[in-house]
Amino acid sequence: MREQFLWALSSSVDVPDVSICEFLDQLISLFCFYNGPVRQSYQLHSRADLSAHWAKYLSHLQGGSTELHHIFSCLQTIDATKIDPLLLLKAALILQACQRCPLVLAGCILYRGRIVSTQMPPSLTLKVMVHETETYNQEHRPPANERSTFSTGGQSSTMTTPVFLNPSEVQALHCPPVNRTCRSHCSPQPDPRARKSRLLSRTLSDTPFSEQDLTNSSPSASCQTMPCSHRSSLSDESCFSPSPGSSQDSAHFAATHQSEDSSHADSESHDYKLSNGITLSEVNGDSKEAVFGDKEETMIKTIIGSVEEGNSLTNGHHLTLEDEKDQNHEDHERHLHRPVKEERLDVGRRVLGDSPEKMWREENRTCGEEIDSELLPMVLYEHRVRALVLALLVEPQFPTDRTAPEEVYHSSLASLNGLEVHLRTSSSGAPGPPGPYSFAHYDCIQNTLTTNLSGRLPGPQDRSFVRATALLHSHFSHTYSAQEAIIRSAGAAVYGTRSAAQETFFLQHAATARNSGIPNPLDSAFALPNKARHRLLKHGVNLL
Amino acid sequence: MKCLLVASESAEVLFYWTDPEFELSAQEQYGASQEDGERPPAFEDSINTLFAPIIISCSTMVDQLGDSYTSFSTENNHIYVLHQFDECLYIAVNGDGEESEDDLKRKIYVLKKLTEMLFGMVTLSSTLLRKELRPQDTELRCRVWRKLQGLLETYSRLRDHDQSFLVEAVERLIHPTLCEQCIEFLERRLVQQINTSVDRAGEEVQHAFILVHTKLLAFYSSRNASTLTSSDLLALIILVQHFYPSTTDPEESTPEVSRSTFILTNDDMDSASAPEIFYTPEPSPTDNDSAELIADLFLSLTNQVAVDSLQTLEVPPQDPSTPSRVFLETTLKEGFFPMMPHSMYCLPMWPGITLVLLTKIPNSQIAMSIYNFLEGFTKLEKRLAEGQQGSPASRGQLPVNELRSKIDKFIRVLGSSDIQESVCMCCRLLPWCRNMKIQLCAIYRQCYVAEGSSRQRLSTALQDRALTMVQDKLMDWKEFLLVKSKRNITMVSYPEFPGLVHFIYIDRSAGQMIAPSLSITERATSELGKGPLAHFIKAKVWSLVGIARRYLQKGYTTVTLRDGDYFFCYFLWFENETGFKLDVVEIPSLPDDSAPIGMLACDYYRKLLRYYSKCQPSEVVKCYELLTVHLGVIPTEYILQHCSQLARKLWEPSRIPLL
Repeated sequence: MREQFLWALSSSVDVPDVSICEFLDQLISLFCFYNGPVRQSYQLHSRADLSAHWAKYLSHLQGGSTELHHIFSCLQTIDATKIDPLLLLKAALILQACQRCPLVLAGCILYRGRIVSTQMPPSLTLKVMVHETETYNQEHRPPANERSTFSTGGQSSTMTTPVFLNPSEVQALHCPPVNRTCRSHCSPQPDPRARKSRLLSRTLSDTPFSEQDLTNSSPSASCQTMPCSHRSSLSDESCFSPSPGSSQDSAHFAATHQSEDSSHADSESHDYKLSNGITLSEVNGDSKEAVFGDKEETMIKTIIGSVEEGNSLTNGHHLTLEDEKDQNHEDHERHLHRPVKEERLDVGRRVLGDSPEKMWREENRTCGEEIDSELLPMVLYEHRVRALVLALLVEPQFPTDRTAPEEVYHSSLASLNGLEVHLRTSSSGAPGPPGPYSFAHYDCIQNTLTTNLSGRLPGPQDRSFVRATALLHSHFSHTYSAQEAIIRSAGAAVYGTRSAAQETFFLQHAATARNSGIPNPLDSAFALPNKARHRLLKHGVNLL
Repeated sequence: MKCLLVASESAEVLFYWTDPEFELSAQEQYGASQEDGERPPAFEDSINTLFAPIIISCSTMVDQLGDSYTSFSTENNHIYVLHQFDECLYIAVNGDGEESEDDLKRKIYVLKKLTEMLFGMVTLSSTLLRKELRPQDTELRCRVWRKLQGLLETYSRLRDHDQSFLVEAVERLIHPTLCEQCIEFLERRLVQQINTSVDRAGEEVQHAFILVHTKLLAFYSSRNASTLTSSDLLALIILVQHFYPSTTDPEESTPEVSRSTFILTNDDMDSASAPEIFYTPEPSPTDNDSAELIADLFLSLTNQVAVDSLQTLEVPPQDPSTPSRVFLETTLKEGFFPMMPHSMYCLPMWPGITLVLLTKIPNSQIAMSIYNFLEGFTKLEKRLAEGQQGSPASRGQLPVNELRSKIDKFIRVLGSSDIQESVCMCCRLLPWCRNMKIQLCAIYRQCYVAEGSSRQRLSTALQDRALTMVQDKLMDWKEFLLVKSKRNITMVSYPEFPGLVHFIYIDRSAGQMIAPSLSITERATSELGKGPLAHFIKAKVWSLVGIARRYLQKGYTTVTLRDGDYFFCYFLWFENETGFKLDVVEIPSLPDDSAPIGMLACDYYRKLLRYYSKCQPSEVVKCYELLTVHLGVIPTEYILQHCSQLARKLWEPSRIPLL
């Protein structure tokens, strides 16, 4: 039960409860991200359209990646070991350059549906990726009415899509860690270091480069676009250039802007709604009754139907959305028309020093009813250069701003082109031999997975590896004190180890020696931890 | 906050058990809604109201989707586990986080096992089982429920505190000399004397064993008897513990026990003189419908009983010489019979030490015939159902005739019968077939379960003589045995394994286990120290067993796990009779909703051994398990060495002969 709706998601029995709850949360938040509050979107759009959307999000969450990705429900990244670390750095710098525009909050760069670099928390990156992957898969499709393509030049194009963020996500974006010194009014954060590493583009913390290396190499990598790009290093605060827009940090800017000019913001959002042909004020009285009256049956059917159509996928999830008894119409209406200013204040109160995901979850638990109305409109700006996409989350007024779109477009165009060419050449190389072992390394903080399993046809050993990994992962997530484990069946022995930040699973391919299962110190299974330590070093996984 | 409920398809509560917390919360929930001055509703009604939505939605699911819930958890962290056996829906609830989903599932299966042991093949007919679990008469119902509730409480207590019930294997007292002497005594003196006595009223002692608390001192089975399965033996120990709970030392009584007023009624009295046994009055031999008669009897006996509260009902003290009827699995030369009636005599020698005799009752032949007929009708029913779906050709004609002639013979043997015979067209045979099965179960019930079916028994004098004989024999050992049962073996006896905190070694083929005692008492300092550390290690051991089971369910026979400051190992392996280690085979991975892994309720290990034997057809296969807990600072290679040495060392003691 959330937001006066009853949600039901069914799956096969093998999927652990934790995963399926997470999956439903993800699905709902994805829907809200692109369509806004659930109730409102069902008032604005036809049910068939929306059920198509549900199917789309569902298939995105399920499809495309390997079973291992499903186990950890993590993001797909490009294989960092196969490309030049400098490229990752360059991608990060492009993103930072874009942030010079005060209307740009954060962004990520994706290549062929995989992350190259991101500044956003994992949950948000996932949402952004849905749209990108979809457009990447169906590039020839004409743009839908709600998207306005305002620049199309050959392989390079940009588009904007309205999206909705919940307050904690906005807050996380508004508080880039480097600027916290000049923001005395913002609530204190208990663990700035953790926050910093989270919001840093993943390249910086992931590649073996030290901070020193970064400072040395960055000017040569992208000297033409960024004279002042070291937002990650605190010592460089002084060199942060006081360009007109960024003299105040974006959060402060946005806040003052909103509070002084709330009427403007209001009309902004109305503009968007008008562009869809329906304003909120039109939805009242009888028409609303019609919308909600016979919802139950039909909605379930449409959704199930559409899902089943487009769903020949592995797990066979079904989603059912059912409207709760609408006892709170008035209440809800009040929420919808609550002034933006008040919401903003609310947001301020809500800021805890917690990680955004945790906050998001807590909020879902505690004030599920309010969350519906508290989604804040934002715009997703995308700049596509063939398979490479720069996706930025920008303030709602960004598309109508006179200079900002141009500025961002031109500042990033050249470097994006360059990056695309580099990525294309480097990623075309054939993958090396996978080695006589399987491993999966899951980064809990960045929600990413490194494995040598993808790409090849799953053999029996791989399947047993995936099975054991799923089992160990669910064990680790239940038992916090568990540190490492070896489990063995007749066919395979898998070693799993975890720390606060990561989980690693390892299986050695070998003709399984006949063994009785009786305790035997010479058993090959117990040599796994050592082997894992040695083998995985070259994949950048340090288990020592 | 625990509850277990059995409901029929028509949402009628057939049985429930709650702990005091659950009862309180249910009463608060429904008592609060009452107007002032109005009496709060009867607790059974509250339970009905509480579970009605779940039961109804469950049956709707079955009707509409042909599928139902196996478990769900609510927003206030209550776990519900549901399981449907035939037409009875079992629901187990936990709201205090003390039990996991697996524990609840296990509890449901244990309750099923206990009803099978108490009611035998009556459980095969839902209609009859319903009547048996929920007799029309209130007093009788109280009695039945009270007994089952007591058994469940006993089981929960044992599972929480006794390692042998944790891993579901029988623990023996490790004292080979005494054990051997006792077995010899049971064989040569006791069983022989009883079976040759004229006072035995046609009964024949098949098994005799001596229990010291939950631990087995000696066990003897007569030559022509079928072996007693571990599952049955464990269930019998629950029954004995229910009659004579191990609360002889009040200081050692666990909080669980003292909370339950029901068991504590014995505490102020000498528990030997006032046992808590299901009361079976002497029936009138002429009356067929004994239930009603009994009802009248009870009404005259207990007028003071409050109707709506089970808690206030006094159980009249019962003659301890009355045997309990138990139904045990037997494999005879005639074939396999899952629920053969036996009489169980539970003779308390001293508090904590009990002699148990299991006798074959004279009319058990009928049970065999009934079982064979039931089998036949089940087959016939299946074929008829197949015929109904496919071609209507009457291919089941032959078994019908065969069955008819057999049943005619059977009826003649039985003397009287109210069985309707009608051979008609195929489509009308099906309900007839079902009806026939119910009738068979009814005969079985009349013979073995109904009041009065246990009127013959070993004479009291004979029982007394047997008791005195064994008492004399063990008089000098009494104190020793009681202490020994608390500290069977201790970690002190294993100085060659530094860093080893605890272990459990289980022989699954024999259903026996060895483990150092983990007694946690307030008074005595155990080896694990006092207070929190000992409790912590106990909790760790309990959780390790759960983890090992989880991996075994998915086909993993070796697990090592570093958890906090401890290092756990779990091994399962197979040997042949001479101790030669056999190769592991791929063990099937079971789905999450499969029966719990264990021996008591649904014998997983027996299936496992059968599965393995298919791969090694020529040999007798034995299955062993070893769980160890080490300190985490010990290097892994030493830990593995310990495990290997320990397995070798423990192989010997487990060879104490059962016979």
